[in-house]
Amino acid sequence: MVKWIKDGGTEMEQSQNNGIKEKEKKQTITYAVSGGIIIAAIILITMGWVSNKARISTKQAVNRVSEFYLEELAGRRAQVVSEELKNHFAYIENALTVLEEDDLKSQETLRRFLGKVRELYGVDKFALVDENGIVYTEHSTTSGLSRYNFLAEELTEPVISTTNLYGARKQVVLAVPVENISFQDSQIKVCFIQINIDEMLSSLTLQTNSNETYCSLYHRNGEDLTNNAFGNLKSGTNILAALLEAEIDDGFSYEQMREDFTNGKSGEIAFTYRGLPETLSYIPVEGTDWMMTILIRDNVISEQISSISSGMMLRGAVQMIITVLAMLVVFSSLIRQSKKNARIQLEQEKADGDKIRAAYAQIEKEQAAMDNIHAALRSGLWSMEFNEKAEIVSCTWSEIFRKMVGYENEEEFPGRLESWSDLLYEEDKEWTLKEYWDTVKDYTGEKSFNVEYRLYTKNAGCRWFHAAGRLSRRVDGSPITFVGLFVDIDDEKKMEAQLEKQKADLEDALAAAQHANRAKTTFLNNMSHDIRTPMNAIIGFTSLAATHIDNKEQVQDYLSKITTSSNHLLSLINDVLDMSRIESGKVKIEEKETSLPEIMHDLKTIVQADITAKQLEFYIDTADVVNENVLCDKLRLNQLLLNLLSNAMKFTKPGGIVSVRIIQKGNAPDGWAAYEFQVKDTGIGMSKEFQEHVFEPFERERTSTVSGIQGTGLGMAITKNIVDMMGGTISVRSEEGKGSTFTVSLKLRTCSGPVRQEVVPQLQGLRALVADDDFNTCSSVTQMLSIIGMRPDWTTSGKEAVLRVRLAEEQNDGYAAYIIDWLMPDMNGIEVVRRIRSIIGDGKPIIILTAYDWSDIEEEARKAGVTAFCSKPIFLSELREILESPFTVQSEVDSAAQEAISFEGKKILLVEDNEINQEIALEILGEVGFVMDVADDGAVAVEKIREAEPGRYDVVLMDIQMPIMNGYEAARQIRAMKDSAYVDIPIIAMTANAFDEDRKAAFDAGMNGHIAKPIDTERLFELLREILK
Amino acid sequence: MYRKTSKDKANDGKGRNKISALMVPGMIMVGVCGYGLTGCGGKDQLMKEAGGEAALYDQTYDAEEGEAVFIEFDHTLDEYEPAKKEYNFYFTYKTVHPWWDAVAIGIEDAAKQYEEMGVTINYEYLAPNAVSAKDQTERLLDASERGFDVIGVDVADVKVITPVINDLIEDGQKVMTFSSSDADKEDGCNRIAYVGNTHNYEDGAALTEAMCEKLAYQGKIAVLVGTREAPCHEDRALGVQDVLSKYPDMEIVEIEYDEDSVEKAYEYTKGFLQSHQDLAGIVCCNMSNPVGAARAVLEAGREGKIIIVGMDHDQEALRYLRDGVIYALGVQDCYSIGFDTVQVAVKIADGCLPGELYPEKTEETTTIIYQDGAKGMLQVLYGEMD
Repeated sequence: MVKWIKDGGTEMEQSQNNGIKEKEKKQTITYAVSGGIIIAAIILITMGWVSNKARISTKQAVNRVSEFYLEELAGRRAQVVSEELKNHFAYIENALTVLEEDDLKSQETLRRFLGKVRELYGVDKFALVDENGIVYTEHSTTSGLSRYNFLAEELTEPVISTTNLYGARKQVVLAVPVENISFQDSQIKVCFIQINIDEMLSSLTLQTNSNETYCSLYHRNGEDLTNNAFGNLKSGTNILAALLEAEIDDGFSYEQMREDFTNGKSGEIAFTYRGLPETLSYIPVEGTDWMMTILIRDNVISEQISSISSGMMLRGAVQMIITVLAMLVVFSSLIRQSKKNARIQLEQEKADGDKIRAAYAQIEKEQAAMDNIHAALRSGLWSMEFNEKAEIVSCTWSEIFRKMVGYENEEEFPGRLESWSDLLYEEDKEWTLKEYWDTVKDYTGEKSFNVEYRLYTKNAGCRWFHAAGRLSRRVDGSPITFVGLFVDIDDEKKMEAQLEKQKADLEDALAAAQHANRAKTTFLNNMSHDIRTPMNAIIGFTSLAATHIDNKEQVQDYLSKITTSSNHLLSLINDVLDMSRIESGKVKIEEKETSLPEIMHDLKTIVQADITAKQLEFYIDTADVVNENVLCDKLRLNQLLLNLLSNAMKFTKPGGIVSVRIIQKGNAPDGWAAYEFQVKDTGIGMSKEFQEHVFEPFERERTSTVSGIQGTGLGMAITKNIVDMMGGTISVRSEEGKGSTFTVSLKLRTCSGPVRQEVVPQLQGLRALVADDDFNTCSSVTQMLSIIGMRPDWTTSGKEAVLRVRLAEEQNDGYAAYIIDWLMPDMNGIEVVRRIRSIIGDGKPIIILTAYDWSDIEEEARKAGVTAFCSKPIFLSELREILESPFTVQSEVDSAAQEAISFEGKKILLVEDNEINQEIALEILGEVGFVMDVADDGAVAVEKIREAEPGRYDVVLMDIQMPIMNGYEAARQIRAMKDSAYVDIPIIAMTANAFDEDRKAAFDAGMNGHIAKPIDTERLFELLREILK
Repeated sequence: MYRKTSKDKANDGKGRNKISALMVPGMIMVGVCGYGLTGCGGKDQLMKEAGGEAALYDQTYDAEEGEAVFIEFDHTLDEYEPAKKEYNFYFTYKTVHPWWDAVAIGIEDAAKQYEEMGVTINYEYLAPNAVSAKDQTERLLDASERGFDVIGVDVADVKVITPVINDLIEDGQKVMTFSSSDADKEDGCNRIAYVGNTHNYEDGAALTEAMCEKLAYQGKIAVLVGTREAPCHEDRALGVQDVLSKYPDMEIVEIEYDEDSVEKAYEYTKGFLQSHQDLAGIVCCNMSNPVGAARAVLEAGREGKIIIVGMDHDQEALRYLRDGVIYALGVQDCYSIGFDTVQVAVKIADGCLPGELYPEKTEETTTIIYQDGAKGMLQVLYGEMD
């Protein structure tokens, strides 16, 4: 039962189960079908919605793209047209450059040339226009004045013209002004070319059967510049006029387009013209009044969009089904494959990871190596990017370079050109930047950037860098990327500079040595000549004197000449030795209290004889000298002034003028006084070249053989050295044939304060008259008179002086003192004095001022009424003294004092080992009355002194270099004799040891004087007179 | 040959080859009245026919565009094969003026087409800055010594230039006349051929007819002419006078010559206006006349009240036409004159005499245009819009 039930139940259940299953199956199928339908519907609806959206989006996108496309097309074509025009202008310039004279010989040659050019550049017409408006082309000569409007006025700049073509096929005319070309007696004024605008545009036109896109050019007033239809617009139609009739789409405006045309702006307009919707894009053509226009018919776009949309939908459906099926297949296979792939990928990733790590390691290694290289080379990279206009759009400085100039990060040293250029050294900035930009803008790409310049670094001052770079360029030559390297070359540059300096120093030293060598060679040659010349005279006249010993007059003449030659020889030797000592540093400046008036008067006294002998005019004066006593080496100051004066006299011909002037300058510190000593002559002067070497030793502009003037070439060098040693300067101004002026500037310490400046009460307010033909003297003396309170007048004329005196007397305002120059051109001083005395009578002092020895005229002068003589140059102290004190004749006293001293019977011990020298000395001294005794050596002299009774000797003349005992030792021993009557006996060194140190050594040994050999008898007598006084 | 824009004129269908060449497909010729072929009748005959509606060609229209087409620039050379590879021509005309520049473009295009077929045309195309028969004589004599193949002249003064041309012909020179003024057999001139306006008389007559119609055949008329003894100007003036003489209620009050000067035309017109307060119209026989006349009328504020008709395509005149100051202008086909002159010159140079290859007088058209055609003309010739 159970079983039945079970079995029965089983069958029933099975049947029921089958029904259920069937039902479930049906339900499943139903669900599946329904679901499938729903899904399909959803998919279809979604697909439709998506497709519609896609169609709209596509349309919008296509429209946007079309707009961009049109704008881009128009822009590119406008650029092409603009470039084309520029090229054609360049053709004209090129053609004019190659136009030669031969081409302008005749109409035939010119036509041939014009034809060649036209053919070369492929233009319709290449023409020249003359000043009469005649147009010359390859095949024609025509009148062009009315046809080409640019000929209406003189053309001053290039023009582009399309007018006055009367509706014929449009031509573009490019004209440029022309200068300096003439043809058949007429000036060519203009050159132009005519281009077929259709040909120019042919390559730009896009119009095809299937793609209705048009390209055209219009003038800004809408005039058609082409000869082709433009969409629905016929050739020659004014586009602005035509679009007045068009239906403009929403969002666009005809007025805007017209305004854009007028103002040369780009834009776009969509419209329906004669039933066809169209879109027009326009853009101005650079350098012209033209507008480039691109027109596209909207049906082209819409058809494209429809085609795209339907295609998209169909493709979308198919794609959807295929995608679902494919997805199922792919999905299942993907799952299987994914595990496998995951494993493979894992392995692959591992392998790739190893490779990448290795690559990174390699890159890091190379980077490190590169950094090391840069660090070792002290170099850094930089790079810059440019846009099409050659403007920098980015700039990158490497970290190494930043650090090279001392900056740590981009904040301190930003990525822009100025970060670098602002640091450029001022002198290098302009040209470095020019090099940079020239390289960037050299579209030929031939120029390279390779410069060395200085740059301010942050911490290391200004340093030298070397920069080099290369540019990659676009097809048109515009720059894209500029990559380069900076290298710090500061050390190399400094080394280079040092080497340069060393080289220059060496070259200078070599040149100096060579110059010195040449000068010495020249000197030796000169000296050989200059020494031999007087020696020849000495030897020759000595021989002649011996021959004519009985003829006293002749012998005297010979002796005189021998003396002259000897003196010259002596001066040569002195100069050479002086120079030698100066150069070896043996000469020292010894400062002693010195009176400038004394120096100047001595100077005048010394040269006076030569001045007279050479018949020179001589002026000596002072200006503003208030410090008359200074501390200086009188001997050296004398020497340098004498050198200058001797030179002046030597090189000035008879009748010339030599002058000396001492001026005190006001620019000295306290306790010092600044002086300027000017020695001027009107002699032969010097060339500019020689002036540069005049102070160098052994330099003479002309040899004595050439000039006839003897000299060693050392005088100026010695003078310069003395000036240097005294801390002064010397300069020369000279002109050949006109004379020279030497100026010595010295700062000397003052030792007695300024000369008294106060007014002399008894002279205050009184008038004084100065008459001197030398203006400087007038000025100087007048100033001094003012200082002491007088009212001075001055004149450079003797006659005028007399007139003034007469006038002053008539006005009862006569002069209280008269200072009159002895020699004036219009009337000599004595005569002036005589006439003044005749007016004023006796009583008022009249002083004769003169630079000459007045002894010869003294008597005549006193008879004429001269109260006193005063020697030029006159100093303030002297003037004050002469006007303050009763006038006395100082010279007489001096003269009397000099004459009072006599050598008769005075006893001299002459210590001299050389027999000739003994003989000369005995002869000279014996003649003036000395009683002579001789010792052959110092030891003998000491012995003679020791043994001599008191009064035996009045003075000892001591040679220095002697065989047994020298002069110094002998003097010391004499001074050391205690209880001797001769311990204080005057000892005078008489020696060929003539230098200062010899003199000093003599004094150190206890001697009282020093006189150098060869003996200057006058000086010897003067010294003896002084010692024996 | 003459065309005008009067829409009520019937097309007589006498389109010669020349006319056919001028009509582009699709054009509608409205009221074309043709005057004979080259060498057509004398002045009497012309007058007779011009007295009605003859000698007038209408302005033609592009049917589709509704725009006027006056000058066709797409000429091609005829089938004649030149005998030589190179020709040298000398052309001289009355004066430097834009009108002859339009002729020059035709010459240039012809020379270019010859060059494309391997024949070089060298030429000089020169004129003085003011009309001068003396200057023209000198130019012709100078050219005769320079070995040109053909010398072409636009006669400045028939009386002066005719003997010069005859002398040159006697010397073996080949001389033709061209553009606006001929000197023909009737003038005693032996020139070989003429290319240009052969209907100056008719031009003057037709313009006057247009004006008379506008004035309902009554009123006082002043006439401005260009240069004395210039054949084209004198012929037109004659045509004007003959037409006006037909209408009893019309009277010529003054005739003045402006010597091709706009300024003089302006001054003369001011004089007309002052002297004749009831002046009804001005007929202008050259290019400068209508410009000066319109200026003066406009200045006097009498535009529209005084009817001005004149010649040629001056830009300023076209503007006055557009603005209603000028009533009608006769525009000559200068381009064709230039183009055909070169073709004829080549044949003359090759020794061909007038006959089958070319007529003794190659006739070019003139078109009368009115206000409605002015804008189109300004656009075509000068690219100008309002």
